[in-house]
Amino acid sequence: MPSTQTPSITGPAIDPPSVRPPIDDAAIERLEPARLHARLAELKAAGYTMLLDLGAVDYPKRAPRFDVVYHLLKLPLRKASVAELATPQRLRILCGVSADGPKLPTVTDLWSCADWAEREVFDLFGVVFEGHPDLRRIQMPNDWEGHPLRKDYPLRGPARERSPRPAFALKSNVQAGTPPSGRTLQALQEQIRRAQSERRP
Amino acid sequence: MSFGGTALRPELVSQDGNAMVLSMGPQHPSTHGVLQIMLEIEGESILKAEAEIGYLHTGIEKTCENLFWSQAQTAIERMDYLAPSSNALCYALAVEKLLGVTDDIPERATQIRVMGAELTRIASHCVWLGTHGIDLGALSVFFYCFDLRENILDLQEAVGGARMHPNHFRVGGVQADLPEGYIERLDSLIEKFPGRMRDLRTLLQANPILQDRLIDVGILTPEEAVQWSLTGPSLRASGIAYDVRKAFPYCGYENYRFDVPTRDDGDSYARFLVRLDEMEESMRIVEQVRKELKPGPVMIDDTKIAPPPKETIALSMEALIHHFKIMTEGFRVPPGDVYQAVEGPRGELGYYIVSDGGNRPYRVRTRPPSLYNLQALKCMAPHNLIADLVVMIGSLDPVFGEVDR
Repeated sequence: MPSTQTPSITGPAIDPPSVRPPIDDAAIERLEPARLHARLAELKAAGYTMLLDLGAVDYPKRAPRFDVVYHLLKLPLRKASVAELATPQRLRILCGVSADGPKLPTVTDLWSCADWAEREVFDLFGVVFEGHPDLRRIQMPNDWEGHPLRKDYPLRGPARERSPRPAFALKSNVQAGTPPSGRTLQALQEQIRRAQSERRP
Repeated sequence: MSFGGTALRPELVSQDGNAMVLSMGPQHPSTHGVLQIMLEIEGESILKAEAEIGYLHTGIEKTCENLFWSQAQTAIERMDYLAPSSNALCYALAVEKLLGVTDDIPERATQIRVMGAELTRIASHCVWLGTHGIDLGALSVFFYCFDLRENILDLQEAVGGARMHPNHFRVGGVQADLPEGYIERLDSLIEKFPGRMRDLRTLLQANPILQDRLIDVGILTPEEAVQWSLTGPSLRASGIAYDVRKAFPYCGYENYRFDVPTRDDGDSYARFLVRLDEMEESMRIVEQVRKELKPGPVMIDDTKIAPPPKETIALSMEALIHHFKIMTEGFRVPPGDVYQAVEGPRGELGYYIVSDGGNRPYRVRTRPPSLYNLQALKCMAPHNLIADLVVMIGSLDPVFGEVDR
């Protein structure tokens, strides 16, 4: 049967968002880092009250290397019924961040929920959010090196020292451990003897 | 290696006056997983609460980038391990949008998906109610809830072979049709459900001890709920009836009759009532799907995406080739990005997926509802008692597989 899709076999795209198929999932806007904060504040005042999500993507071969992706949602700041929310609007903001010293202004002053999301992008991509009240790692341990979700970060990560096995789990200790009590030992020997005699003709 | 955040940075919490710093978790039974909360307390009341997460970080997003599109589904089901089908559904819908095959998914597959997603919501709320009950000292509720959940897990096992992670929803449809005897077992669950919900409501809803513990604890106003990006039952308990199933319908949810339960109080008791109501609404949807279930195929008719049926492999050369290609190389997805959201048991579960045209996802960004909901603790906890903090965590229903990923 014929395929309903024509898969791309031209090789990996360098900037996928620019060649996206027409999918109606959100309105899209691309912003420069310099204009980002002012525009987001403007959008918030215009009714996009909820910051749904803040994430990032790494495109190592592209000129601004990172895309920080904001998803906004229009919601009223008061009690609202289903009918009032019948035509919701979702907006995606893409903001390119260059590879050397990646940094963006924080939006924690606009949305409190950006706190952990920005920490996560900092932790996993190394994008610094200027003005964030408490920018430190969130998922990885504090003394971790590197930013795991970058494309040049190896899947397995750097080798780490393995914690030593507890003494009771060491093979040498198990062999040198207390032998089974006399009764158990006798029972075992009896069992083995019986099994052997049954097997012989 | 050090894990503690605030513990190692005493400058983050004030050291003056009568305040004292207390670490709660990450091995505390009522934190519902590995959550550490650094508390600044004065006597019994909380001045500041700073949650530390990341103890269960397993790098699922990174793992997905190194798996085929179809294999990534397995990793994704492990994020929210209490509602695996919601995650699987959202991912499948997003990839189908990128492939441009959304309209070609067979109707029966969509119906089975809706049924699975709603059953998993009930199962997830059962765990929430059971563990929330234990937090409050109501032990018997746990057994009632887990008995009900057991019936749903049996159904998941019947369709997918595994109880917790059925891996039944795939890109292009569902992996197999409902097995023999499934509908009969579903019918007996539908019959049993109202009585069990009546038991639970009788046990809890008007219980003065429960009301004392929940009412007016952890109040969130609608403004605060939006500011902290709460979704799902936690947002609807603050009066905003935002439900992805109604706002951005998917899988034909616009054709089912169900209400979106809301409460105006915004406290823990409101969240408790909203979730109880939601379980009943979910069962209403399941009943409707059960009545309207149509016979037909359950997988997309496109062997470039879905492997051909196993029976045909021995008979058709072409089927064998397609099967081999999909199993060894996976399928390719046209380049682009997409955001797809579904209403998970905890709120808006979203996936922002980027494809570069290859046979592996380029980036799978999850919008985990638990992460954003849990963050609101910082807003709720101050000026409350430590005992009430346990109630607040329970009423937000976080799942750490999803918070930490």
